Amino acid sequence: MKKFLALILVSAMLFAVGCNSVTGTSETSEITQEPTTETSSSETTAEITPIDNKVTSYPVTITDQAGREVVIEEEPKNLVSGYYITSSLFIALGIEDRMVGIESSPEKRPIYALSRPELLELPQVGSQKKFDFEACVALEPDLVVLPKKLSDVAEQLEALGIDAILVNPENEEGLIETINIISVATNSQKEADKLLTFIDGVKSTLKQSLSDVDPVSLYLGGNSSFLSTAASGMYQSDMIALAGGKNVGDEINDTYWVDVSYEQILAWNPQYIILASNAEYTVEDILNDKSLQLCDAVKNGKVYKLPSDAEAWDSPIPSCILGSLWIASVLYPDSISEEDCNKIIEEYYETFYGFSYSSIKQAEAA
Amino acid sequence: MDSATVQLSRQKQHKKEILCFVIGSVLLCALFLISLFIGKYPFTIEGLLSGNERQWLIFKMLRLSRSIVGVIGGFALGVAGYIFQTVFRNPLASPDIIGVASGASAGAAFGILFFSTSLMVTACAFGGAFLAVVFTLLLASIDRSGKNSTVVLAGIAVHALAQTILMCLKLIADPEKELASIEYWIMGSLNGINSNSIKFNILLIAISLVLLFVFHRKAVILASDEGEAKMLGLNVNATRLIVLLLSTVAVASVVSMAGLISFVGLVAPHIAKRLIKNNSIATMFMCGILGSILLESADIFARSAAQTELPVSVFTSIIGVPFLVFIILKGGLKHE
Repeated sequence: MKKFLALILVSAMLFAVGCNSVTGTSETSEITQEPTTETSSSETTAEITPIDNKVTSYPVTITDQAGREVVIEEEPKNLVSGYYITSSLFIALGIEDRMVGIESSPEKRPIYALSRPELLELPQVGSQKKFDFEACVALEPDLVVLPKKLSDVAEQLEALGIDAILVNPENEEGLIETINIISVATNSQKEADKLLTFIDGVKSTLKQSLSDVDPVSLYLGGNSSFLSTAASGMYQSDMIALAGGKNVGDEINDTYWVDVSYEQILAWNPQYIILASNAEYTVEDILNDKSLQLCDAVKNGKVYKLPSDAEAWDSPIPSCILGSLWIASVLYPDSISEEDCNKIIEEYYETFYGFSYSSIKQAEAA
Repeated sequence: MDSATVQLSRQKQHKKEILCFVIGSVLLCALFLISLFIGKYPFTIEGLLSGNERQWLIFKMLRLSRSIVGVIGGFALGVAGYIFQTVFRNPLASPDIIGVASGASAGAAFGILFFSTSLMVTACAFGGAFLAVVFTLLLASIDRSGKNSTVVLAGIAVHALAQTILMCLKLIADPEKELASIEYWIMGSLNGINSNSIKFNILLIAISLVLLFVFHRKAVILASDEGEAKMLGLNVNATRLIVLLLSTVAVASVVSMAGLISFVGLVAPHIAKRLIKNNSIATMFMCGILGSILLESADIFARSAAQTELPVSVFTSIIGVPFLVFIILKGGLKHE
């Protein structure tokens, strides 16, 4: 009898543990799958607000990337951006002079100091992790743009009669949708058009130049640790594909950074290793890593780090196409020369951010 | 009961204990061999036998090191758990009771924030663990009566302090980079171990384990009444200091390599004590074997259950809890 009871209890326990682990994994996949579910709302946006007429006539109804409908009565004068991606977008769209508040720690992102140092002086409204609601309301904004994770903040703002738009630029499509939504809401569609045309131009240049290359394999070392990499569902994987490379992490089906082992990297044996812009470790660390001495990329010295002089191109920011361009110039210097690559980067920052990228590189070298 | 039946039941018990040892050792050897052939790099037996240089190098540097750390690390955690539970006469005692784990976490977080190379993180974690324990024992030495409860109280204070330091470090950490590293470190993993980084730690573990086995009898006397221990001519404070410091070195060496590994040090002694009775050195050895079995099998799952690397502590608990429940129920829930 006792044995029987023991058996039942143990199996119940195992079952409970099993259930826990199952719900655990389904939860993570729910969170990480958010970007894919978002695409449906983007189509509705396009239907509601045709962006052909280039000038927004208020009132305008906008469906944001959380599927909320927001009616904006008149052109918003005071803008708050609680997300670094939209803050950078505001500069590219030329509406940063209307900003009255910015996300926390803007000094950590060099783009503001390079392009619009006055933004660093703006009151800060917190971050995704900890939003400062009072500080935001005190600025009496007409429109607040927030990342989708802050949906409860958006609800609260709405209750106070302040328009809030949630954005979710998790991938390239999401980013283009973000650009469209923001430009309609703030009446800056002409500038958005210019930006989108530029992005499309770089994209078609890449496609043409890389049409006949053999894809080389590439391992992307993550920000927090070299042993974390971008899985197939991540924006970074698309960035590599656009650059003509083959992300070895595509084998893993996930939508976030995943942890892998040295063994796994050696089994993949990538031809190139590229480190994320904000990686804490250096190219030298990887070249000197004894566990990687047998990896082709390390043996041949093909380890590079994405630049972080202006922005981290490996995140879905307006300039993210430059990440693909830069990687392509590293992987296929014969198809896309370093010179051409630098020229396009220079043009982008001159046009949309009003500073010279090459001069900061020179200043650094000096 | 006459002396013949007592003799008989002792013999029976003795046979049972030997059987436990044999089963445990065979299981551990089997797990070790299995672990050598489970992982992400596609080693082939033919390749290894034919002396494929690339396969051999990777095998020695990564796979073998990881399997060895699984066995030795688990052994050290099991033995240290036994020592702590014995010395403090507390079935819930673990190295963390005197601040080892929280000290190591704070140290590792410090290393991740300010140095970021894996070697420095290991060194900082070790330093943090050791500092925390030294601080605890210093605090406890203020109380001249040298009671166990004073050490536990001092440990609680140091644990709280280390947790606060950890919290402050987390607060200034970049949420996307460093904070993630700290959290992953705390979950524990044998991933990233290679033959270059473990030699020193393995040596420290081996030395402290040997010394612990030499001192084991004194540790058992510590477990008895303090007055009694003194009567037996034992310098309670000095012995306790030595035994605790040795266990700390062993645990800190494991933790600094692999991060926090939960549950092994707690569960292995409980199972071992139920399998082997009245023989401290055999029980201690069994604790080690069980710890190794637990950690090695958990690591096999951690590296192979998914396409990615999973934290090993998830599996030490999943495997350990049902096992413990089974043993408790089998023992008929009787109090020791």
